[in-house]
Amino acid sequence: MSRIKATVRFLHAWRHPDEIAREVEAELRFHIEMRARANIEGGMRPDQAQLAARQSFGDFDRVKTECCEISRSHPLDSTPFKMMLHITLAVLSGLAALWAVNVPHHNFTGVMRQLIAIAVLAYLFIVVRRAKSQRRSDTNQSLMSDMSDASSGKITAYDEQGRTPVERILKS
Amino acid sequence: MLALEHLGGVVVGKSKAGLLQGTLDMLILKALSLGPLHGYGVGQRIAQISDDTLKIEEGSLYPGLYRLERRGWIESEWDVSDNNQRAKFYKLTRSGRKQLIIEEQNWERLAGATMKALRAS
Repeated sequence: MSRIKATVRFLHAWRHPDEIAREVEAELRFHIEMRARANIEGGMRPDQAQLAARQSFGDFDRVKTECCEISRSHPLDSTPFKMMLHITLAVLSGLAALWAVNVPHHNFTGVMRQLIAIAVLAYLFIVVRRAKSQRRSDTNQSLMSDMSDASSGKITAYDEQGRTPVERILKS
Repeated sequence: MLALEHLGGVVVGKSKAGLLQGTLDMLILKALSLGPLHGYGVGQRIAQISDDTLKIEEGSLYPGLYRLERRGWIESEWDVSDNNQRAKFYKLTRSGRKQLIIEEQNWERLAGATMKALRAS
């Protein structure tokens, strides 16, 4: 059911991109406002609180664009779906090849069926090769992404003075 | 640098794929398993249930929420918040609950294996 809802939402996002952009913006602005309120309750002046809220949120436009793009991306465009598609194609191709190879006589029709069998098997080979290379490149991309995130310090336990937890413990 | 640095906390940041994104997804699902929340509330709840140790990089939370919604693990609707403002509330779906169980099992297996490796003499 949730898949159906996601598909309906995807279609809605394609038909009304402006509406989705407005919704995303309203949602993100609500977040910044909530953060600013919390900052004021924590003792900040309103202008300081607003500025701090924007800073802690990060790049507003980038987040907004990313959310809009995700809304417009196909909900079935996932690895399990691609795998199912490849398996279905492989099974259908195999059945077609079996039918084509089973030649009763060496006449024109028989030769044509053998040619079809060769074409189908070649197609099957290409599909399998492509699926394997896609999987390999996805894995590499994932590893590269993790490495770049780690090197850019996106997971960090540094404090505001740039000290690690161990340094903090040693100096306290 | 996009990452925010919090005093004494661990910031879970944006990642396109892999371990970090999986962790963020699991944390969001866990936060929503305790009840529907708006985006700001999800970040607050994660900080709260981890005793302020884990803090989601605020901006990266939303692409995470949209990704999970696209996969059908959470769903959203606009409602009125406690302070009478319109806000988008997210809640876990049945498939999201199942996914959370899978993610938790994977995480426990990974954590167990890592601990085992670290304790090896």
